[in-house]
Amino acid sequence: MTVTDEELVARCIAGDTESFNQLILRWERPIYALAYRQLGREEDARDVVQDAFLRAFRALPGFKGEAKFSSWLYRITLNLCRDVMRRAKRAPFVQAPEGVDVGDLVSTETTAAESIEDVVTRKDLGRHVARAMSRLPEEQRAAILLKEYHGLTFQEIAELQGCPLSTVKTRLYQGLTVLRRELQRNGTSTARSESRTP
Amino acid sequence: MNDSRYCDNPDVLISYLYEDGPGEERLAFEAHLRQCARCAAEVASLRAVREDLAAWAPPETVLDFRIVRDPAPVKSRWGWTSAMPAWAQLAAASLVIGVAAGISGLEVRYGNDGLIVRTGWNQPVATRPADATPVAQAEGADAPWRADLAALQEQLRGEIRQSVPAAGAMPVSMAAAGGGRAMSDAEFLARVKQLVEASEARTEREMALRMAEVVRDMDAQRRADLRRVADGIGVLEGRTGAVTVQQREMMNYLMRVSQK
Repeated sequence: MTVTDEELVARCIAGDTESFNQLILRWERPIYALAYRQLGREEDARDVVQDAFLRAFRALPGFKGEAKFSSWLYRITLNLCRDVMRRAKRAPFVQAPEGVDVGDLVSTETTAAESIEDVVTRKDLGRHVARAMSRLPEEQRAAILLKEYHGLTFQEIAELQGCPLSTVKTRLYQGLTVLRRELQRNGTSTARSESRTP
Repeated sequence: MNDSRYCDNPDVLISYLYEDGPGEERLAFEAHLRQCARCAAEVASLRAVREDLAAWAPPETVLDFRIVRDPAPVKSRWGWTSAMPAWAQLAAASLVIGVAAGISGLEVRYGNDGLIVRTGWNQPVATRPADATPVAQAEGADAPWRADLAALQEQLRGEIRQSVPAAGAMPVSMAAAGGGRAMSDAEFLARVKQLVEASEARTEREMALRMAEVVRDMDAQRRADLRRVADGIGVLEGRTGAVTVQQREMMNYLMRVSQK
């Protein structure tokens, strides 16, 4: 039977450090993905992951369990990302290279079900998505990331961002609309032309 | 039915897009979409954007963070020093250095000869208190070392007298001063001083020459090493670059062939 996050948190508060390492193992990938998509730079994302877990470990005795452990961790991560961006005084950096290296694709990315062409197309689209996402305001980008890639509920996002539920939905709608426009401008989107002007 | 409650309502649209909200509300919105082409197109295009978002994946990376508790710190035998304030540590260090200098008979002097540092107990005392001088002289008048000093002085004078006729390179003034007659104390001291200065000058010249040789050898060795390292890096870059180019060309060729 899988031990829940809350049980691992309780064990860690009781002094079992190894329980926290299990939480790290469970959440380091999602946290890294969130940090990377917010910051766009692998090194910064790795630093944020490390800082986030360290802060969480130190603050764990004060964690009351009012929110889920993962939501709490996401909040710490987003705050750290905000600090990084403020320090650097910049928008998210798009790290993806201009060209697609076929050699790299063949060595790491292809599977039996996906041809090289598919991989090239997917990587290209991913690069355009990253660029379009970097143009969104921080709150809209965070709302889309938490909803699309981490599956948080509207209520969880609202609590995490400290705003009403309707604001979260508005941020999502506005963010998706901007993304649609950016992707269509690049000619990479599968989206049909928009029917209404935001 | 074209219900205006649903048109231009991002709240309802987003809830439907993410399959959120009560079932009745979703069914009602679906009925609206069948009637409203504009809202239907909006939902379809935003759904397509969501599909595009799936193409964006973060790069693979190694994450190996672990929380490790530090072992209990080992108590150092000098650990008590960290509890002392800085001024106390500084005062203690000054005291130790002062006592050590006193025990070793340290003498530091800066004059025309440059900086002189001497240690040990065998150095003659350069100055004495004024009131102690007569007593010291009186005590030293019949000291046994006076006889030794006088003998050494005579021996030096004799050697200098013998060396004067053979010293063709001696300056004229000195040759005249030492020519066949007994030297006065002042001449003797001047002569000794001149010999010491000549010896020091010779030593300095030799030292400078040696240093120049050492520096030149080191520089030559450094240049040779740098050239060897640069050659090695160039060969390595050439090899790896050629292999990489070959591999890329091969993959691009395969790519082109597969596209035909």
